Amino acid sequence: MLWLEFLQWLHDTRFSATIRDSIWAEPIIETVHVLTLTLFLGFAVLLDLRLLGVCLRRRRVSEVLRQLNPCLIGGFAVMVTSGVLLFSGDPVSFYSTIFFKIKMVLLALAGLNVWIFNATVGRKVAEWDLATATPRGAKAAAIVSLALWAAIVAAGRAIAYALPPP
Amino acid sequence: MHPAKLLLSFCQWALNSPFGRGVRDSTWLFPAIEICHLLALGLLGGTVLILNLRLLGLRFQDDPVAELAADVWPWMLGSLTTMLASGFFLFSSEAVKMYGNAAFRAKMASLALAILFTFTIHRKTVFAEEARIPPARRRLAALISLALWAAVGLSGRAIGYV
Repeated sequence: MLWLEFLQWLHDTRFSATIRDSIWAEPIIETVHVLTLTLFLGFAVLLDLRLLGVCLRRRRVSEVLRQLNPCLIGGFAVMVTSGVLLFSGDPVSFYSTIFFKIKMVLLALAGLNVWIFNATVGRKVAEWDLATATPRGAKAAAIVSLALWAAIVAAGRAIAYALPPP
Repeated sequence: MHPAKLLLSFCQWALNSPFGRGVRDSTWLFPAIEICHLLALGLLGGTVLILNLRLLGLRFQDDPVAELAADVWPWMLGSLTTMLASGFFLFSSEAVKMYGNAAFRAKMASLALAILFTFTIHRKTVFAEEARIPPARRRLAALISLALWAAVGLSGRAIGYV
């Protein structure tokens, strides 16, 4: 299978070996990955809480989006970069765990959720910008987002438990 | 009794308590609680970051600090409580091992300082009338808060490595 051959090729690269064999690389990258949860997950939750109308109620939704989005995008970039680096260190083992596959599917669903929100109720944010009782669609997007990110964190933690010990 | 002995006997009590035994004897309880700990970390970190970014003048510049603080304070308290409770359960399952863990000790020391600072100077700074606190002092409070919570997070990550 082409995909597995690619993972094996990646595993055999010098880049992958450097991450795998270094004493410091894995702890440092993993620490960055975990602590960026404060920025990325924390701000995603704050945004979802605003969409549910339970936090930051006095602020316009569009303003909350404008203030949080750069941090969310930056945090996500750090998450993806550190995640790809961790994966590169041991791609075959990562891919062999069920939790890695689950996490990737959940991430795709979270992306889809953002896309649906932006294409529907998010596009008409001006109509409900100051409402504490936010539209049903916004609440649904927030609940789906909260559930997906919680499951993504759980699956991510489970990967480390499922990986064969070094 | 010597303080160190008192701490050690507390750790021994925690280890043999129903919490310690329960978490230790279960295969899935420790990972499950750890996931709760991580999720609460996300929200606690988010509330601490947003408040400090506001104090630094980097986010929500047009909103009064006290209003933003009032908005996120209950969520900060809730996530901090969740972290303390889940953290205690995790700790109890290997309490005596943690007693000897340098990173764990550093985490508890920085946690005590972070909590102390958050509920005294930091709280006063964010809830005060804005005109009464010079911008430089607000920025200093934000930097100290960020440094203290970063120390808690980093030493927490180190527990598994030392």
